[in-house]
Amino acid sequence: MSELSSIREIERALTTLRHESDAPDGGPSQRTSSMTHIAWVPARWVEAATGALVGLAERHPSRSILLFPEPDDDRDVLEADVDLRCYVHRGEHREVCSEVIEIHLCGSRSSSPASVVEPLLLTDLPVFLRWRGPVGRTEGQRELIGVVDRLIVDSSEWPDLEDEYGYVAGLFDEVAVSDIAWARTLPWREALAALWPNVQDVSALRVAGPEADGTLLARWLSTRLRRDVSLTLEPAGEIELVEADGAPVAPTRRDNESASDLLSEQLDLFGRDRVYEAAVRSLATASV
Amino acid sequence: MTQVAENTENPLLEGLRRRRTPEPCALTIFGASGDLTQRKLFPALYALALRRLLPERFAILGVARSEMSTEDFRASMEQAVKEHGRDEFRQDVWDSLAEATRYVSTDFADDQGENTVIACLNELDERFGTAGNRVYYLAVPPAAIQTIVTELGERRSAQGWTRLIVEKPFGHDLESAKQLNACVLEQFEESEIFRIDHYLGKETVQNMLVLRFANGIFEPIWNRQFVDHVQITVAESLGIEGRASFYERAGAIRDIVQNHMLQLLCITAMEPPIDFTAESVRNEKVKVLKALHTPGPKHIVRGQYGPGYIEGEEVPGYREEEGVSSESTTETFVAAKLYVDNWRWADTPFYIRTGKRLPRRETTIAIQFKRAPHPPFELDSADALRPNVLNVHIQPDEGVSLGIGAKVPGQGMTIRTVNMDFLYGGAFRTGLPEAYERLILDCMLGDPTLFTRADEVEEQWSLVDAMVAPWNRDRPGFPNYAAGTWGPPASDELVHRDGRSWRRH
Repeated sequence: MSELSSIREIERALTTLRHESDAPDGGPSQRTSSMTHIAWVPARWVEAATGALVGLAERHPSRSILLFPEPDDDRDVLEADVDLRCYVHRGEHREVCSEVIEIHLCGSRSSSPASVVEPLLLTDLPVFLRWRGPVGRTEGQRELIGVVDRLIVDSSEWPDLEDEYGYVAGLFDEVAVSDIAWARTLPWREALAALWPNVQDVSALRVAGPEADGTLLARWLSTRLRRDVSLTLEPAGEIELVEADGAPVAPTRRDNESASDLLSEQLDLFGRDRVYEAAVRSLATASV
Repeated sequence: MTQVAENTENPLLEGLRRRRTPEPCALTIFGASGDLTQRKLFPALYALALRRLLPERFAILGVARSEMSTEDFRASMEQAVKEHGRDEFRQDVWDSLAEATRYVSTDFADDQGENTVIACLNELDERFGTAGNRVYYLAVPPAAIQTIVTELGERRSAQGWTRLIVEKPFGHDLESAKQLNACVLEQFEESEIFRIDHYLGKETVQNMLVLRFANGIFEPIWNRQFVDHVQITVAESLGIEGRASFYERAGAIRDIVQNHMLQLLCITAMEPPIDFTAESVRNEKVKVLKALHTPGPKHIVRGQYGPGYIEGEEVPGYREEEGVSSESTTETFVAAKLYVDNWRWADTPFYIRTGKRLPRRETTIAIQFKRAPHPPFELDSADALRPNVLNVHIQPDEGVSLGIGAKVPGQGMTIRTVNMDFLYGGAFRTGLPEAYERLILDCMLGDPTLFTRADEVEEQWSLVDAMVAPWNRDRPGFPNYAAGTWGPPASDELVHRDGRSWRRH
């Protein structure tokens, strides 16, 4: 790792790292170019974000750009580190390398992150932005969202669900959105779908789980069935129980997927998720 | 609430990624005590179970002559999964698979044996709700297939569907393949028959179709105007590994050329199918086989390895292998020049070669393009510029590489060929599924796209019969290549005569 203060220095450092990583026998390590993954990581999410990155780079070799906004810093500077994370491809002599760029956006440099990121995007490849916490609303933050193909959020990180869902609904025509809370409900949605047609008249859902997950599940059922579905929520760290009109629903799978797993799945998706959008839009409408 | 079948009107299904999960069924493996079951089939079933791709209501019945209890069979398969599986072993996944596994020791050649199998399957239907849906996997010697097929046909389940997977070799010549087809088709519909060629289950083989038909840049140049020639290599560094009784009768041409190699040639040369349905894809492959010009004796080279060195270790010649005749004339190497006589490929040679005890294990399709017509560089600098070659690496190092000319940095204009590599595992770091996983799942789903159709297998044998016919009239001077080399000198001469050479490895 090395400390850098400009895009040019970052690019040079990446080139040097690539040369240094070449195999001793002269064969180059392989640099893959499948996507750029950006993470917007305010201070309180640093630990969670770096944790999610472990394991992710190996599954999705990419250029990862971690942006740490520090607007309260007195200095108006960029402080960056670059790292090359190489993995031996199974049973082979060659390594595959992913690039990780960590950039601290200090002082006013945090106000226009798109201008920092754009020179570092891999040309012509998809760009994913994992936004930790509530989605930014400043002009500069909107510009950052504007340069990506997919915005990935986790609505369970939001303090005010109604307000945030309303804001995110307004972004749907600008950028495809993934919600990790929505992804966590997948086994339960599959299970409810498998109960068709016996679930077509369901009017009450009871969920023991995170508020975001339960809310999305109830809204999904409501929008798909085109009928009111009330939600009784019992807070829990993950979805532990779902009952439809008092009848328990068994999820299609119960593996505890890690943060890396869930984010990794979102990186395989392209295009808009209209079903999610409908559920979120109905929440936004209801809150008006 | 009760679980019900999928309904097309179900609004809750919209947006859910539909996993390919088959209907409930019981899989019966004939020849369950054999090597294939241990090394490939059970590890594949375990991998499918781990990924929840097997039906929820599923059972396995192993059938073989070996005396063994169900418990012994399960223990043996557990060990096989631990040894040969590609995933970390999870006891809970194995336990649920083992719980649905039974073993019957019987001689399938007699009525009593078949009745025992059917009775056991009926019990499994009751116990696991497999609804009379049956997959029969015939991992048995060719001689046993006809008897089993006839007996099974006469005992078809009154309810549910039946599918039959038949392992290679499917016959040993055109006549026997026709007989086998007739026998199987007497009892089963073509749509129920899945003739397996595991090469088609390989991700990289399927990727060849994607490479060709999902990328606009390749198809316009995929023809005689731009392609100089094609080289297909299936090289093995192993010897016959104790399979002398099979290999002495088969040789390289029946073991590899008739099936794997012709499949690779077909997917390289075929026209774009109108869709990816089984019939469309297989129709196009059959057209290629029909268009293959039978090579004359000068365009075929056969060889047999003598003693030599593999990875620094001295290895015996073929005739010294256990179970092989000291005067064997079985070929362990075949190279040939083939032509696909159609509008796209006329006069474009397809050089194929396969052999045992070659220096390395490698399966590659190399498309060599014609040279640039007039490179405007000085002669010495352009000498190093080789023609562009698109290499599709089937195994190992699965991926695609394209050789291009690049300027060597510096003051002069020196050109060197460099490879642009797409390493499959580099971009998609999920482990590649084993071919048998894909094929077993496809059969359960009733999708025969990656299986060989009756007319396809007969066309393959028709070509092979014509290729080997002259061999019956002469006695080859075997051995004619040393283990650890790239085949007999005549193989090099085959391509040198045309002013070309085999790819360097």
